Amino acid sequence: MLEKKVISQLRKILGKDAVLTSKEDLNAYSYDGTTTWAHMPDVVVLPTTVEQVSQILKLADENKVPVTPRGAGTNVSGGSIPIKGGIVLCTTKMNKILDINKTNLTATVEPGVVLQDFNIALAKQGLFYPPDPQSFLGCTVGGTIAENAGGPYCVKYGVTKQYVLGLEVVLANGYIMKLGGVTVKNRTGYELMMLFTGSEGTLGVITKITLRLLPMPPAQKTMMAVFDDMAAGGQAVSNIMASGVVPAKIEFVDNFVLCRIEEMMPMGLPVEAQALLLIMADGSPAAVEAEAKQIVDILKKSGAKEVKVAKDDAEAAKYWKMRSAGFAATFGAAKTVLAEDVAVPRDKLAEFIDKLGEISERTGFFISYLGHAGDGNLHPAIFTDVSKKEEFERAQAAMGEIFEAALSLGGVLSGEHGIGLEKQRFLKKAMDPVALNLMIKIKGILDPNHILNPGKIWEEERV
Amino acid sequence: MAKTSQKRYEQIKRFENDLSQCMKCGFCTFWCPVYQEEHIESSVARGKNMMIRGLLAGELDYTKEYAERLNQCTLCMACTTNCPAKANIPNVIVAARADAVKARGLKFPYNIVYRWLLPRRRLFGWVVRFASWFQGIFLPRTEGSIRHLSMFLSALGKGRNIPQIAPRFLRQMVPVVNKPPKGVETKMRVGYFSGCMTDFVLPELGKHIIDFLNRNGVEVIVPKEQGCCGAPVFLGAGDFDTGRKMADTNVKAFEGLDYVISDCATCTSALKDYAKFLADTRQRKRAYAKFAEKVKDISEFLVDVLKLPPSAYQPSAEVKGKKVTWHDPCHLSRHLGITAQPRQIIKSIPDIEYLEMPNADRCCGMAGTFSIYYYDLSKQIADKKVAAIKSTGADIVVSSCPGCEIQLIDSLLRNKLPVKVMHIMELIK
Repeated sequence: MLEKKVISQLRKILGKDAVLTSKEDLNAYSYDGTTTWAHMPDVVVLPTTVEQVSQILKLADENKVPVTPRGAGTNVSGGSIPIKGGIVLCTTKMNKILDINKTNLTATVEPGVVLQDFNIALAKQGLFYPPDPQSFLGCTVGGTIAENAGGPYCVKYGVTKQYVLGLEVVLANGYIMKLGGVTVKNRTGYELMMLFTGSEGTLGVITKITLRLLPMPPAQKTMMAVFDDMAAGGQAVSNIMASGVVPAKIEFVDNFVLCRIEEMMPMGLPVEAQALLLIMADGSPAAVEAEAKQIVDILKKSGAKEVKVAKDDAEAAKYWKMRSAGFAATFGAAKTVLAEDVAVPRDKLAEFIDKLGEISERTGFFISYLGHAGDGNLHPAIFTDVSKKEEFERAQAAMGEIFEAALSLGGVLSGEHGIGLEKQRFLKKAMDPVALNLMIKIKGILDPNHILNPGKIWEEERV
Repeated sequence: MAKTSQKRYEQIKRFENDLSQCMKCGFCTFWCPVYQEEHIESSVARGKNMMIRGLLAGELDYTKEYAERLNQCTLCMACTTNCPAKANIPNVIVAARADAVKARGLKFPYNIVYRWLLPRRRLFGWVVRFASWFQGIFLPRTEGSIRHLSMFLSALGKGRNIPQIAPRFLRQMVPVVNKPPKGVETKMRVGYFSGCMTDFVLPELGKHIIDFLNRNGVEVIVPKEQGCCGAPVFLGAGDFDTGRKMADTNVKAFEGLDYVISDCATCTSALKDYAKFLADTRQRKRAYAKFAEKVKDISEFLVDVLKLPPSAYQPSAEVKGKKVTWHDPCHLSRHLGITAQPRQIIKSIPDIEYLEMPNADRCCGMAGTFSIYYYDLSKQIADKKVAAIKSTGADIVVSSCPGCEIQLIDSLLRNKLPVKVMHIMELIK
């Protein structure tokens, strides 16, 4: 339990209204987007300035109180759960877009800006920020930096870290540190910015972000292809990538999701088909036309049963909406859905899909999967029920097997969600032990009292 | 013990499916008008749903803060409409309000107003009349109207622009049976649900609607026994017992009629919600469900049932040549799915220009009781609506919910924007 004097000092720093202590409010900051993780903080603070963040951290460091930085809490790794209680430092009120510079193609924002609000502001000026985690309606830009988030667009445009030009970070002792700048090129010492990008709130609190932007691609085209065989769908993805075209997005949907889509929006999809690919090409109108033609060709040659090209933007939007609706349907399909985030090398995708089939057969769990096939990042989902203890444990074991399968193919534990609490028990297997140890040492230098998001990423006994 | 807890969460348990449907993705934060002002997790559907789960798990209790958080929702349904899992959290919130009232009781003065005054229509009318004498003394007279007495009392202290009480109520102005004029064939016979607002404040609107229906071959019955729809009582305050009495009164008042027409989106939606929230017996369930089918919003009735030709919609003198925009009441658009019909009517009217406002279906922040408890928050939400209206350059903003209209009048005056607020039926001659 937190000492009373710490809370009264927090009130002095932030004012009464920005310090939440009622049980009802604490409960609201005890969870994130994961299924089962939850822990109550002792207090929630909502700073509006970097100076406040600095004073909060100084106070916490002096009193050795855990601080869990949090944006909108849409992450799916357990990353923003205050697992050791203490302070939740929520950045949702630091939500100003400070600058959008069309000439430099840069923007500077506060961490609490919601990604969709940022996208809307950019679109008004014909600008584009590609990283598109599918929580864009809720997630904050600060959170996407801390999680180094990705999404469908990343197959062509890369993940969040490719866009971070400058950061302002408050360190555990309250020091306000500036990193990077506004230039695209910057070769000044170590890439310390990358240390904080993807740090999951364990090294510092991000308070200002400068991002690289792109002009909005003037044209785009969406294609849809249906396959009888799942592995054939996976192979088609590899064939497209090997042909020299890089589509903006390649999304993969299995039979389960395909059937839900057909139920919700009947459009004559063959419900016996095992896989569906949604592909988008973007760029200049002429390039898009040529790329789309090439993609359709390859899809047909790879054995697609049916290929559709959206005739206009409205139809394309319908296809993409259908894809997110299908994703939602997966989550509504069972009491508890364990969804994961593994990524494998693209040329191993078909093999990985076969392995998933074997695991499903052996464990008896139905496994649905959809994902960003273009970058080998799949979200296999196991349908179970958390209230049935024995079944839930078996489901978790099956998920363990999925991780093992991905790792054995040279894949990774997490493509875009991060480790947090959810995947830390697998970390040892997925990382070089020296690298893991180095990570822990870095944490010790930057946060000697272990106040920043303690208990995350690696398992505790190693500290 | 198990039995008491069952009783303690009686209503919530009925919506357990909605409660468990939320997968905590947090997408509702983007759509929630309250969260967009507060940026605090307990404002939004996910946070409230988790709070109610916490109550059921025994981690939270019926505290003042709990009730506070429950009340801090406009029930606008934007969360549900945009929810990937279609979790209807407003259902859970209404149910939780009901359980909280059972556990905690209603606080003064709401207990008097909701339990005692609103169900007694004639008495309520007299109290409103009495209050109106003071209105002229304490407040500048403005256009528009007041919806509930409680709102009036509350607004006295907060400087809200409150419209005037009519010198004669609708029930004093029109007979029970209103037949089409001579020479017009009677095609249909319907009941007219007047609602507190039209009855006490906008009787001219009610009269106008009855005349319009008469001229188009509809005989209109205005039962004297009808009362308040009960929205502030059972949806706002969670007093299901009183709400049930009001529901029974209204269902009985309109017995034997094929349709019940209302000009208020909130009333229409509340009348249809009896079956969902208030049916405690099989008998009531059947009666309320049958009643719900008969209830029609005025624009829905004109377009879908009466199927009037476009030529039936001629502009009233004061709107000719004006630019008009439409505000979707939450209770009409998201609760009942009625968005096309009012637009079709407005677009049929010659000599006016229709302009669609951005986010026309975004909540105006009124939400009855909500705006009493949280007037400042309500004003902040309304200011976004005012900005949307301003961006269209319209002369008139039209809606179909007296609650929204009060909010719009108040907010436009506060923002000094010279835009007139009208009910959709006031556009038509």
